[in-house]
Amino acid sequence: MSFSRGVQALTRRGIHSSTQTSFSASKSATQQAAQVAQASSSYVEGTVNDPTKFPPPNSAHGSSHWAFERAVSAALVPIIGASFVTSSHPVLDGLICSSLLVHSHIGFDASLTDYLHDRKFPKIGPVARWSVRALTIGTAVGLYSFQTNDIGVTELVARLWTA
Amino acid sequence: MSRSSVAVKQAARSFSSSTRRSLATPVGGAKPALMKKFQIYRWNPDEPAEKPRMQTYDVDLNSCGPMVLDALLKIKNEADPTLTFRRSCREGICGSCAMNIEGQNTLACLCRIDRNENKPSKIYPLPHMYIVKDLVPDMTQFYKQYKSIEPYLQSDNVPDGVEHRQSPEERKKLDGMYECILCACCSTSCPSYWWNQDEYLGPAVLMQAYRWIADSRDDKAAQRKEKLENTFSLYRCHTIFNCTRTCPKGLNPAMAIADMKKEMATA
Repeated sequence: MSFSRGVQALTRRGIHSSTQTSFSASKSATQQAAQVAQASSSYVEGTVNDPTKFPPPNSAHGSSHWAFERAVSAALVPIIGASFVTSSHPVLDGLICSSLLVHSHIGFDASLTDYLHDRKFPKIGPVARWSVRALTIGTAVGLYSFQTNDIGVTELVARLWTA
Repeated sequence: MSRSSVAVKQAARSFSSSTRRSLATPVGGAKPALMKKFQIYRWNPDEPAEKPRMQTYDVDLNSCGPMVLDALLKIKNEADPTLTFRRSCREGICGSCAMNIEGQNTLACLCRIDRNENKPSKIYPLPHMYIVKDLVPDMTQFYKQYKSIEPYLQSDNVPDGVEHRQSPEERKKLDGMYECILCACCSTSCPSYWWNQDEYLGPAVLMQAYRWIADSRDDKAAQRKEKLENTFSLYRCHTIFNCTRTCPKGLNPAMAIADMKKEMATA
């Protein structure tokens, strides 16, 4: 069964014109063909004349996301620069904390999309995604309390600098 | 010498890719052999249970053409006819002989053999592709992706009976993009394409997508761009620049992708 499926799968893909003759050679070749049939389930489906499909368009995942990501990255440069030349200021601290947080959240999220996406990792993917969200929220809460109850981020860096 | 043996000799000679000594007399006698090792990736689909291996061949560089493709042809003709690879034009215009030579994706026909005979030359198929046999990768997904971007002119007002005109400036935008031969060297050098080949289009296909977006005669730019508005198709490009670095035609897919991202973000 799996042998015939293997041959079908290979002929359907239309490239392996030379492989079929060898399958009938011996029993071990049949067993090997069965292995190929299993492997072929991970192969590209369809032929070169079937175009790949696109997901439904959504600029929030496309151009707007990219523009926002780049805007935050670009904004970090003057914000961090300004915090070096001025003394610590609550508004500036708030800007640094929020933009750094958003920047790193987008960065982690991009890593997960690249390496641990749900379509390939149906279990670890969502766990990792929600972990990053929890981490970001936890960091936001922590930064907020550090800013309001303690010295704040820029003051901390300034003291470490002179320590 | 009988007639048949002469015929056999002539037939054998016509398959030989070595320099024919009969054509010209080398000055000061024949050059001494310069033997170089070529380590080539081998995998045979007829024995799928057997692991891929590296096979070493010795080639006399002084009786071989200057390019890696010449060495491959010499090996196939004279040493091992089972060695399998794609080739066609032997002048860098068909893109068939794309492979990984010395760690760099390039066309075997445009890649000179390193004449240092102490260092073996390693040749692999294009990285992170399904392999059909030896140096032959399965390009199905790549071609499917190319088809998905509709790589042809879609115009609502084609002039009747006259040329479809462009200004020199408009035409200039296509330079550096239309020359692509789709050898897939760039796409298969891209880490993002390695990890997300099923969804991410890769530099070669994206540059062709932009080639049609940038064409002043095409009227479907908005629809073409809208297709790419998702997490994967375009935005898995992280500006790694492997594509530009490896392109055997000296094109700049990373630039085209950057232009496309800018255009999509601002327009």
